[in-house]
Amino acid sequence: MRTDTHQAPQGEGRGRTIILTAIMAVITAFMFSGGKIPQDPKEAIALILTFLFANVLFFLLIYTGKTDRYRAVFFSTFAVMLIISFISHMFEARGSMSLSEAKIFQCEVPFCHLVIPMTLVPMALTRTIIFPGSLIEGYAAIASMFVIWIGATLALGRGFCSWVCFYGGLDDGFSRILKRPVIKKINPKWIYLPFAVLLFVVLTAAAYLSPTYCSWFCPFKAVTEFEAVTSTKILIQTIIFVSLFVGLVIVLPILTKRRTQCAFLCPFGAMQSLTNKINVFDVRIDKEKCVKCKRCIQVCPTLSINEESLEEGRTRITCMKCGKCIDNCPKGAISYHIKGTDIPGKRDTYRLLFLFAAFLFLAIFSSHTIQSGIIRILKLITTGSMIS
Amino acid sequence: MHMQGFFLGLSNGLTCLAYCTPVLVPFMLGEGRGVAHNFVALMQFLAGRLAGYLAFGFAAWLFNVAVLGRMGSKGLFIGILYVIFSSLMIAYAIFGREIPCAVRSIDRIAGKIRIPLLIPAAAGILSGVAFCPPFLLAMTDAASEGSLSYSLFFFFMFFIGTSIFFIPIPFVGALRRLTALRIIGKMAAGIVGLYYLYAGIITLIAGVKGI
Repeated sequence: MRTDTHQAPQGEGRGRTIILTAIMAVITAFMFSGGKIPQDPKEAIALILTFLFANVLFFLLIYTGKTDRYRAVFFSTFAVMLIISFISHMFEARGSMSLSEAKIFQCEVPFCHLVIPMTLVPMALTRTIIFPGSLIEGYAAIASMFVIWIGATLALGRGFCSWVCFYGGLDDGFSRILKRPVIKKINPKWIYLPFAVLLFVVLTAAAYLSPTYCSWFCPFKAVTEFEAVTSTKILIQTIIFVSLFVGLVIVLPILTKRRTQCAFLCPFGAMQSLTNKINVFDVRIDKEKCVKCKRCIQVCPTLSINEESLEEGRTRITCMKCGKCIDNCPKGAISYHIKGTDIPGKRDTYRLLFLFAAFLFLAIFSSHTIQSGIIRILKLITTGSMIS
Repeated sequence: MHMQGFFLGLSNGLTCLAYCTPVLVPFMLGEGRGVAHNFVALMQFLAGRLAGYLAFGFAAWLFNVAVLGRMGSKGLFIGILYVIFSSLMIAYAIFGREIPCAVRSIDRIAGKIRIPLLIPAAAGILSGVAFCPPFLLAMTDAASEGSLSYSLFFFFMFFIGTSIFFIPIPFVGALRRLTALRIIGKMAAGIVGLYYLYAGIITLIAGVKGI
């Protein structure tokens, strides 16, 4: 006999939360520090602050039972810190955010996961990586990014986009600025656009052996690095990616309260959606508890729940496992779930298993970036400049 | 440059699949004789489709010899065609018009074909007689170079690109998501249209400078 006592998400008890946080604290302490305490005071402060930040958020995540609320804080901080540390690094290394042709030919362009869909076909056909980056050495090497991507994909599927991606926190953060959306109606067909973009960029990359998305569309070049404008073609490319950044990463997320870049453009996200099929975790809706209030449909940042999927008791393939629907469901009908098990089954255990994997990826992947960002901010406070 | 046809075919293939299969599948799979028979039917269909495409490759070459070759500024004309057809392709992606593909008339024509084995081949030929914007762009591309071998090769590659998507047809279960494929195909066509619009404007500017 089912009881309906489990309403909105409940957290763990205080004792259990402390034990779980202690386990996370030991792992993160070791991973963040690499086993040694830094001698430089700024580095030591950055390490301690990052460690506290991560573990306090993990504690709250477990104790309150709210997933998205605390994930978003961490995730957006990660994105902001990436911008601070990356731009500072670029100014230190090159004197500007723009890339010269010489640097491209020297293969010194940092690699990011958004390039991965474009590299796979040429890699299979020509055994060449069509990106001017370093394979194993230097800043953001290609091999390390591939290893992280494969691991995170196996563990999280498209959860990568809400727990690992260092850009996603930007539109996630902007989508939380207004209390209510100004634009409420979005044509659901737009969620197919990333798949079309994926098709286009994979084909053009294979045909021209060039990462076309990076050259023409990637909005995040606006806050990381971009090619120096030396021709009309590069000027057009610059106008396109700056417009996409302003439109899809800032303005539309604010107005719609959705992650518009991730939901309606990102080809990497489309590829990750396909990996949701092989990932062990998914988000399921207990149809017996669901009262069809449609609150989940309203809040999902990627339109990954519609009436049809609600009827089926599952999210759509594009689900990023951010936990927003779970936090907002008034009946506690939505939960993380392990494929092949009962619903609701041991929902608290499934949640803990997912959160441990997801949070570890987020914490470990972001720790260097957050520490680096804090060091830059401390430098700014103490010396008046972020760069050496 | 030789990949252009393949690339255009691949980007258009999803749309072909989404639009053509509701018409083709009843003819190809209606007899329910299993996957092996379906593959034979698919091969017949693809052979017919290749014949239709090669005929258009030949027509594109003839058009180049008869019309483009006699024009003073070929680049200007090709640029204008690119701009028109790519704009049509973008409009088709945005406004959702039905594709003017001759395969839609197979219903009527099939009744007049006495040998049932020829129906998939006839459908293939009809699918090669399309006037959808991507196909018109392919015509322009094939005609732009001027040699018969290039035109035929271009359409052969276009055929290969579009045909890849037809391989799962014998496994009917793979076609459950036709609506989604149709939307993705249209959107991809719109993006390719933008790419050709850019290429057209660049060709047009070069053509104007050449006058």
